[in-house]
Amino acid sequence: MFAIRRWWGLYARRAGLIALAVGVAWAIRVTQGAVIYEIYQWITYPLQAGLTQPEQIENAYVLELQERIVELENQNQSLKSLVDYKANLPGESVTAAVIGRSADHWWHQVTLGKGSRSDIAVGHVVSGYGGLVGRVIAVTPNTSRVLLVSDPNSQVGVTISRSRVMGYMRGQRGNRVTVEFFEKNPDVKAGDVVVTSSYSRLYPSDIPVGRIESVNLSKSPAPEATIQLSSPVGALEWVMVQPFEPLEDVDGPPVELVPEGEP
Amino acid sequence: MVSTSRHLQQTKQRLWLNVGVTVISVLFCLLILPVRLPGMELLGIAPNWLLIWVVAWSVKRDPFEGAIAGLVLGLLQDGMTAPLPTHSAGLILTGILTARLQKQRYIQEDFVSVALITFGMAVISETAMAMQVSLQMMIESRQILPSLSGVWLYHQRVALSSAIISSLWAPVLYYPLNRWWEKQGIVED
Repeated sequence: MFAIRRWWGLYARRAGLIALAVGVAWAIRVTQGAVIYEIYQWITYPLQAGLTQPEQIENAYVLELQERIVELENQNQSLKSLVDYKANLPGESVTAAVIGRSADHWWHQVTLGKGSRSDIAVGHVVSGYGGLVGRVIAVTPNTSRVLLVSDPNSQVGVTISRSRVMGYMRGQRGNRVTVEFFEKNPDVKAGDVVVTSSYSRLYPSDIPVGRIESVNLSKSPAPEATIQLSSPVGALEWVMVQPFEPLEDVDGPPVELVPEGEP
Repeated sequence: MVSTSRHLQQTKQRLWLNVGVTVISVLFCLLILPVRLPGMELLGIAPNWLLIWVVAWSVKRDPFEGAIAGLVLGLLQDGMTAPLPTHSAGLILTGILTARLQKQRYIQEDFVSVALITFGMAVISETAMAMQVSLQMMIESRQILPSLSGVWLYHQRVALSSAIISSLWAPVLYYPLNRWWEKQGIVED
């Protein structure tokens, strides 16, 4: 008993400080760093970029329009044969500035300068000039964090706009993005436009993603293609956040998508 | 009697001042993490400010203190990115190893040696991350081998860039912090 009291007398303050530090760090971890991102937003507010957009973004925008036209044409053709087509109307989108990049080297994330006060919520879909960018994974009142499609943890169901071949896209570490197809011999060639598929749970369908850069049909276990993302994910300045309700629980394992045209 | 209580008060003030300086320096590191300033990144990789802080803290302290600092800052970085894989593992290792180095005895006190320690620790902590990512993949993934090799290729690039850029920026944080702690008599010259 005496030993404990003596120890307490000697180390009470030290133990208290350690407990406080660990406790605060744990709280910040549990709240996903909300306090820090709010302070970050507050400090960088005067420094955030104005409405200047470099040519790169303009080019990407033109590219997006072209891809949208290709997609619309293809869709129009298939629509003629469909009767029960249900349009999913996109809601009002919010434009937000990118105020920070990822806080470590292993995640591809960006921080936006708007949050739940601007009606952004977890699961909303983020697109930039050029096409799909990612989805919101955490919000604070004035900031929100976006997991980019180039992150290995984000998987997106995609369709080749020309041939309607399905596959799923995932980021590879180091700015490469690949698509794996479900068919053994998919009708894909370099230059094809890639859009999100209607089977995607986390993203609405028909958002332009990019173009096929190269195809590797002999890849095991599934044929693989490398994609060039049409939005400049490494140099984002402004993005649009679109309300979207994920179809199922987000944190579950990825569903096995059923390839189109099979019984 | 009066002088003792005044002395006690002064010690208390100094303690809170020290806590304040420590907290503010950590906050500074956290706030600078998402920033990519020109000249502060190499191949898109920014200095690992929290790692530099842990090194600066642990250089003249005992391994236990280093480990606690690593744990706390790792939890904070988890909060700012994602909880798994945890950054604490690498930073705790950094804290313990840096404190165990006994720098005063073996290495001369200067910027170069701090930069060197930071270089080594950056490689170690990125390796800890890569191992966790690999482990996670082995547990979860269906096809391990191609993606695993991808992780370790990426690890090479990240570890090297992070080590170079962090060691270059290490003195910026180490110098003022160390000067403050020396002046306060918390660590010896």
